[in-house]
Amino acid sequence: MNLRDWQKAFVAALAAGLVPADTDPRGMAVYANNYRTQLIAGLGETYAKTRLWLGDSAFDAAAGRYIDAHPPSSWTLDAYGETFVQQLETEYSLDPEIAELAWLDWHLRRAFSGPDAPSLDVRDLVADDWDRVEFDFVPTLRFRRVRSNAVAIWRAIADEVPPPAAVFVEEGLGARVWRQGLSPRFASMTADETACLDLALAGASFGEICTYLGRTWEGEQAARIAGGCLGAWTAEGMIQGLRG
Amino acid sequence: MNASSLPGFHGFGLGLRIPHYSDFLDHRQPVDFVEVISENFMVEGGRPLDVLARIRERHPVALHGVSMNIGGETLDRDYLRRLRALADRIDPLWVSDHLCWTGIAGFNSHDLLPLPYTEEALGLVAENILLAQDILGRSLVLENPSTYLAFPGQGMSEAAFIAELCARTDCHLLLDVNNIYVSATNHGFDPQDWLDRLPLDRVRQIHLAGHSQGRDMLVDTHDAPVPDAVWDLYARFIARLGDVAVMIERDDHIPPLADLLSEVSKARDIADASRRQVA
Repeated sequence: MNLRDWQKAFVAALAAGLVPADTDPRGMAVYANNYRTQLIAGLGETYAKTRLWLGDSAFDAAAGRYIDAHPPSSWTLDAYGETFVQQLETEYSLDPEIAELAWLDWHLRRAFSGPDAPSLDVRDLVADDWDRVEFDFVPTLRFRRVRSNAVAIWRAIADEVPPPAAVFVEEGLGARVWRQGLSPRFASMTADETACLDLALAGASFGEICTYLGRTWEGEQAARIAGGCLGAWTAEGMIQGLRG
Repeated sequence: MNASSLPGFHGFGLGLRIPHYSDFLDHRQPVDFVEVISENFMVEGGRPLDVLARIRERHPVALHGVSMNIGGETLDRDYLRRLRALADRIDPLWVSDHLCWTGIAGFNSHDLLPLPYTEEALGLVAENILLAQDILGRSLVLENPSTYLAFPGQGMSEAAFIAELCARTDCHLLLDVNNIYVSATNHGFDPQDWLDRLPLDRVRQIHLAGHSQGRDMLVDTHDAPVPDAVWDLYARFIARLGDVAVMIERDDHIPPLADLLSEVSKARDIADASRRQVA
């Protein structure tokens, strides 16, 4: 057998927990153990808060199923486990806080070493025609709509205080993750802010965002909410620049 | 660049791990150099690169990787270009990785898998080293891994394989004394004989670490203090080497920094005593 075929047979056996032909099972057991423990440890590190919430045993079992279904391909362990959130969503569909904690874990980890980008200072929040202004956000920004109080749970686990019980929350609330300077950040969002951020990331102008809010709120209140979002996004280092 | 021109560095250092970042950022530590895991800093931005830049201001840095896959069918050029960018950024003592393979055909095991020491493997690895050195613009330093499989009927010993790689590619060597102790014990060969067959003028660095007793074999866990058997082997090796960078490497169960610095001091004392004895 040539080297290439032998290597392919070796990794197939490694991933399946088998012993290739003419191979010492004692040595193969060391490599098989290294392979799984390394990946489970890597997922446990990436999804640290999720692991604490689920417990080691349930987490490791879920990680084992993930490894069986998703052999790693990237050179960096940091890239391994991106779709673990989807697996948890499916496996724990009645407990949305689990996948939402995992989403926070994953994106905070990505934000930690994501691209650097300057953020706009509040003093630079100047435009001739605000209706036409569009926003460039820092590249680490991610958001999602949430069904649970996962943000509060994540924060309590991080602060090493007893986390609240998981509860469902009203429809439309959201969570966002980004990096401000060198520090990964996360926050929960009202339904209005979630919708505004969704629109802004899709390229809507400030005027279009105000128009959207005007369908729910009276003019002055809509402008106040839009201005509040803009002020918070700027103060928290989420906006890289203005266009238009 | 002439790959054989990689200058030596005489000193005693530490593999820098996350729990000790603040110790190194807050105070100057008594080490001559540090080694970092390359992949941890082959990132787009954020705190890792900031930390590395600040540490580099105080210490020479060696880059040590685990994912080059030098024994793989094809090298990942994107990986090599990222590594080159990191090396250009921090001007390391050198760039090292392991004599192993990590995956094939889109699969990455994230482990250091064993190579059969055949002519076919020799040709492939030599070709890969030359390509890597070309893209990196510098000589590559290769470390002997611990191995748990032997390949009956394979063409040559590990030492002969490494010596021939050096001859064909002008690469350099990182001797992990723990790894050779583990492999020699697992496969029943004499580590002194292994050393005798290597081109010692190519050695630039030494790793010292600990291991664990597995069910059937010694396992290179790098999670314990350097054991006496590895210190003894190191004392015999260091007496025969020129200017090398000696380092304590702990990858798991990371103790307080003071414990590792005491091992660094011991490595320095043993080297001094061994060289005095030879003189």
